[in-house]
Amino acid sequence: MRKKFYRFYGGLITAQARWLNRMSENGLRLVRAETLLYEFEECEPGKYLYQVEFIGQKSMEGAKEYHDFLEDMGYRVFFKNINLNYSAGKAVWRPWADKGGRIATSSTTFNRELLIVEKENDKTPFSLHTTLEDQRNYYKTLRRPMLFAFVFWMAFALVMRTWWVGIFGVLFLIPLIFYQIELTRLTKQAKLSE
Amino acid sequence: MRDNVKGGALTEVTFYILLALYSPRHGYDIIRFIGEKTGGRLMLGAGTLYGALKTLQEKGWIVPYGEVGGRKREYTITASGREVCKKELARLRELVSVAEQIMEKT
Repeated sequence: MRKKFYRFYGGLITAQARWLNRMSENGLRLVRAETLLYEFEECEPGKYLYQVEFIGQKSMEGAKEYHDFLEDMGYRVFFKNINLNYSAGKAVWRPWADKGGRIATSSTTFNRELLIVEKENDKTPFSLHTTLEDQRNYYKTLRRPMLFAFVFWMAFALVMRTWWVGIFGVLFLIPLIFYQIELTRLTKQAKLSE
Repeated sequence: MRDNVKGGALTEVTFYILLALYSPRHGYDIIRFIGEKTGGRLMLGAGTLYGALKTLQEKGWIVPYGEVGGRKREYTITASGREVCKKELARLRELVSVAEQIMEKT
């Protein structure tokens, strides 16, 4: 029997993965992911493990290539949106993205910023990024859009002399600090292990 | 990847991937090979492997093998990749030899 749940996690990537893993522990396997909808079917409890990865910086080709690579590894992969936006012809500027992904449109990478990756539980840990250097690169990828949004809104507030616009900037400061703490921790760890 | 090409020092991950590709393998097999050879100590994540394979292709040390357009793409080592491995082996031998000389004295 299939079950539907409506959730929106936005940029709370770890929370989304944690929820999917909890659903699996309760015997539910993800079969469909849409804007707000997650559809599950019954499975043996804990049979699947989930990871959610941010890929908003990739070009359409890069995202497709990575998606296919993960599927070739034997994983099931779902694209997922990070924003809540139903526009059909949306185009956004992402100066922090890789070459080829800086203009994201509804038909390319907009609303496909996340990958939900499912692995069958073989009792080994499930991590997509395992070396310290790669983990640092991943956190830098996460930090870049937050840094851009923070600087953009703060500059906008200053130029327009409207202090309340700065609130948007402060909102992006929270994940920015979080990612920076993680990056600093990984950098320290890398120094110790080298 | 922070391989020191000039000095000939490779990271452990790079060296193991290159060694795995002395026979053509696809991603899943590379991870399994490295896991087996290190007794499970080094289990690469798929994201890490993806980035490493891209970097090694850019350096010209590995190339896709067989049907390029198809899924389950395999990779194999190139002549320059083999050259890099030879240098790394020589570097490691030198290191082991120095370590043995010093440590066996004490």
